[in-house]
Amino acid sequence: MTDLVLKNIGKTYPNGYQAIPSIDLSIEEGEFIVLVGPSGCGKSTLLRMVAGLETITQGDLLIKGNRVNDKEPADRDIAMVFQNYALYPHMTVRANMEYGLKNRGVSKDERHTKVMDVAQMLGLDELLDRRPGQLSGGQRQRVAMGRAMVRDPKVFLFDEPLSNLDAKLRVQMRVEIRQLQRKLATTTLYVTHDQVEAMTLADRLVVLNKGKAEQIGTPMELYDKPATTFVAEFIGSPSMNLFDAMLTERGIELSESLTLLMPHQYRGAIKWGIRPEHLLQSDEANGDFSLQVQAVESLGAETLIHGVLEDGTEQPKPIVVRLAGPHLPDIGSRMWLTAPLKHWHLFDATTQQRL
Amino acid sequence: MSVYFPQKKLPYLLVLPQLVITAIFFLWPAGQAVLQAFYREDAFGLSQQFVGLENFVDLFQDPLYYKSMVVTMVFSFSVAFLGIAVALWLAVMADRVIRGRMVYQTLLVWPYAVAPALAGVLWWILFDPNIGPVALFLDRIGLHWNHFLNGDQAMILVVISATWKQISYNFLFFLAGLQAIPRSLIEAAAIDGASSFKRFWDIVFPLLSPTTFFLLVVNLVYAFFETFGVIDTTTQGGPDGSTNTLVYKVFKDGFIGLDSGGSAAQSIVLMAIVGLMTVIQFRFIERKVQY
Repeated sequence: MTDLVLKNIGKTYPNGYQAIPSIDLSIEEGEFIVLVGPSGCGKSTLLRMVAGLETITQGDLLIKGNRVNDKEPADRDIAMVFQNYALYPHMTVRANMEYGLKNRGVSKDERHTKVMDVAQMLGLDELLDRRPGQLSGGQRQRVAMGRAMVRDPKVFLFDEPLSNLDAKLRVQMRVEIRQLQRKLATTTLYVTHDQVEAMTLADRLVVLNKGKAEQIGTPMELYDKPATTFVAEFIGSPSMNLFDAMLTERGIELSESLTLLMPHQYRGAIKWGIRPEHLLQSDEANGDFSLQVQAVESLGAETLIHGVLEDGTEQPKPIVVRLAGPHLPDIGSRMWLTAPLKHWHLFDATTQQRL
Repeated sequence: MSVYFPQKKLPYLLVLPQLVITAIFFLWPAGQAVLQAFYREDAFGLSQQFVGLENFVDLFQDPLYYKSMVVTMVFSFSVAFLGIAVALWLAVMADRVIRGRMVYQTLLVWPYAVAPALAGVLWWILFDPNIGPVALFLDRIGLHWNHFLNGDQAMILVVISATWKQISYNFLFFLAGLQAIPRSLIEAAAIDGASSFKRFWDIVFPLLSPTTFFLLVVNLVYAFFETFGVIDTTTQGGPDGSTNTLVYKVFKDGFIGLDSGGSAAQSIVLMAIVGLMTVIQFRFIERKVQY
């Protein structure tokens, strides 16, 4: 059953600025949807529109089949975790978690049971009488989640909840959020600018660019078949190598002297892409092309080699290769590479759409 | 944090001007007052007689002094309460204004630039029983206004005059306090199902409490000691001492009653009160509620 439906949803500010032209999205019950995109792409605005904190100027928002466009945030049966947690600083953890229940007239005994259940689930039972100021960042984050969970809402909304945590805690909380969401099976809409967070958490993700959904799909769909160059560059780290090229009867012409053979119907200007992890080290006899090594990043398990493509032109075309294990090529040396055909991505140069 | 100067004399030289000013305009007159409090002087200032604590004994046996204390309490707490309540209401409203925000806020701050005496005159004219538009309006709706005869009305007039000025000051602090509350807290409360009334009393008001407490102390001190001008230009302590606050009584007894000894004794008591309030201010405000 669909739980949350965004039908032709749009937002235009009174000054005429169109933050979100139109978005369509249906979310199944229990699904974890991540909205991802660079800052200013409208992802937070969209989330706040679902929450009822921003007005919706166009389209319909349905929660469990009911149109909620004009309902107050409190009447939409949603709970939200804010980026800065938005805990009430003058209340104890218990009071913070209870506040929503209290306003809805839940009895004292029931409130107590619910708070204790959630507190135990999140490991907060020792902290119930403390104030937010006495908690660490990770604990505050947990309280913010607890406050949302206690209400047992139809939809969870997360607005970059992990961006204020340090890297290690972020990974830990990421795993925890995913496990909790699976356990509770509550429909979730999660906003982030971090593509790793997006890939690991999402059942499906929505890549937003300038208020438009560039692509909606599972993480692997987006990784394997990015619909646009924007998605291709946004998903995956380091991002995909993309080069301007011409598709002719001879194949993909990266420059006058460098052509990759490929039969294709299309003729014209294209962008040719390949992910850093799909390039293979080779030798002069078998290699498709070579690069000149400019920098080497050794991460232990893998090595990132930054270089420029040697295509016979003066124009430097940066390229990144990701190799498993340790490698130590000299700076300035030449490295031969093969690019397996099945990992090629072709995009139309004008529309930026996948061919 | 401490700062150490390598020079020995320079720090003293730098604070010297302030010390001189304090000595000439505060310590010396205060010392004179302390001395005078133990003497009785004739009305022309020609002879003095040491009387020990007699001025203080007289003071604390004088029913008029206790009446003045009650008047001061009623006046000060009314000014502080009214000033805080109205300013908070205005600040909450101003915080919601989006268009013309600057104009609105600037206009609300202006009264603070008006001298207390002028504020007094302004309200005195507005409420004048013969020509004041407010008084005439009140008369028309059947409320006879004459603060020259009615003590309660005189009190209301001085409270309004003194509060009017202080509202601007309080307003600025409340507005800054409101703007320091993260919007997401209000939004979280809205999602938690709190009505706008509840959001104010459960979230906003408690978070403003450090500001409110600071303003309470500042306003009390203001009403106690800095409202001489307001009272002098409106009621002069009358009618029948109904607006005769402690500070105004010091002036009246000393300069009109020409009882310099009694007046000096009263100012010693006032100094003690100031000292006490300063201690309270430092004790509680410096250590204000931290979140």
